[in-house]
Amino acid sequence: MSTLKVNKLRDTAGSADAIVLDPNGGAVLAGVTTVTSVKVGAAVTISESGIEATGVGITCANLNGGQFGRRNLIINGAMQVAQRGNTSSVTSGYGGADRFKFDRSGAAVVTLRQQGVGNSPTDQGFGFCQQIDVTTADSSLAAGDYALLSYRFEGQDLQQLKKGTANAQQVTLSFYIRSPKTGTHIVELVDQSNSGRHVNKAYTVSVADAWEKKTVTFPMETSNTITNDNARRMDLNWWLAAGSTYSSGTLQTDWGADTNANRAVGQVNCMDSTDNNFYITGVQLELGSQATAFEHRNISEELKLCTRYFQKLQATTGSGNDNPIAVMANFTSTHAYGRIPFFNGIMRTGPSLTASDGSYFSNGASYTGLTFGVGGQSESSIEVNIQASSGNWTAGHAGWYRGGSFELSAEL
Amino acid sequence: MTQSKLYKLRKNPLTDEVSCISKDNGNDRFTIIPINEDNTDYQDYLAWVAEGNTAEAAD
Repeated sequence: MSTLKVNKLRDTAGSADAIVLDPNGGAVLAGVTTVTSVKVGAAVTISESGIEATGVGITCANLNGGQFGRRNLIINGAMQVAQRGNTSSVTSGYGGADRFKFDRSGAAVVTLRQQGVGNSPTDQGFGFCQQIDVTTADSSLAAGDYALLSYRFEGQDLQQLKKGTANAQQVTLSFYIRSPKTGTHIVELVDQSNSGRHVNKAYTVSVADAWEKKTVTFPMETSNTITNDNARRMDLNWWLAAGSTYSSGTLQTDWGADTNANRAVGQVNCMDSTDNNFYITGVQLELGSQATAFEHRNISEELKLCTRYFQKLQATTGSGNDNPIAVMANFTSTHAYGRIPFFNGIMRTGPSLTASDGSYFSNGASYTGLTFGVGGQSESSIEVNIQASSGNWTAGHAGWYRGGSFELSAEL
Repeated sequence: MTQSKLYKLRKNPLTDEVSCISKDNGNDRFTIIPINEDNTDYQDYLAWVAEGNTAEAAD
């Protein structure tokens, strides 16, 4: 076979070159090119039927400029749901947006608030965010002081990471933050199935008190599987402050055994002034090394996901007879019993009950100073018993707990 | 040893057996914790006991 040596090909009636040949063996095709199929190596075939890709598959940032569905492992990442309301004087616990927990050791005390459009990055599509407002500062960190914002996962929701197998997949975290501090911040994954093994990554805040999007990819290890159950098996932690106990070593950027000194090396102290406010929203954790557009879910769906861990049964305003939360039966003259189904959805496990600001009404009388107990409980209902501090009601009659609220918690 | 939380055992009046634990959150707010090892409030209670603390006995 002979070789035709030319630089360009052009139709006899054309005014522009159709194919320009590259001296290194390539070719540039101008205009519309119609072919039956194109093969890229052995893994990708593009044909009239579509794109068939094997091996690594397709890596891309968005679909038609928007999100892919069902990629986000985080519930309430857009901070839309805040069943508890704003919560002050927090040293450890939940408040503001559901599913995000504050923890600290040391002097710091915070208020947790869900904030709306006035404080959220609306230009990025977020109308809510979580605010951590420092109300008592920890300006001089003792060695063991720390502050964290945590998100906790059930083990059964993380099997797709394939951790502990030869096919373990890295994960990418993306989020929007507004930190009171510039400089190094640390985010980490902690494997609660395996004695607190952890991996830690640093990100840098460039401008204080301004929204910035951050993206971090975590490796996944091929050993140490995640237990497949409904218990807390992985934590995602944003460090907010770290004493030397947690920062005096070398940052552990690959999975390793629990070593406190390597967890938050370089972390700036976001708790050092009562002027400090830390905001976060748009939290997404997804498989792979590519951060994709945030997966927005509607409020109904997000609320449903949150109620697996927390439900608040709230009376309407006022305390009249038209505001019952739970209908009970007076089993004896001193104790009333009822069974509360979780109408908002099945919970992770039998929950704790916190009742507040209500009264028990039966046979024309209202009783306060109530003592509560719980008995048989499951993921779908709980038995509640009530005793008044004084006075007896009539056995065999009905009554109802009214006003106030029941909070049911099955958090991780 | 941590004493910042106060726990009290509670009996089910029907069975007269301890069926839950009351945790004082302050400000007259109490969380009633079921005896359920999957419940993290109960896990916190067990950790508190493991530190050498003892809950107030049931009435």
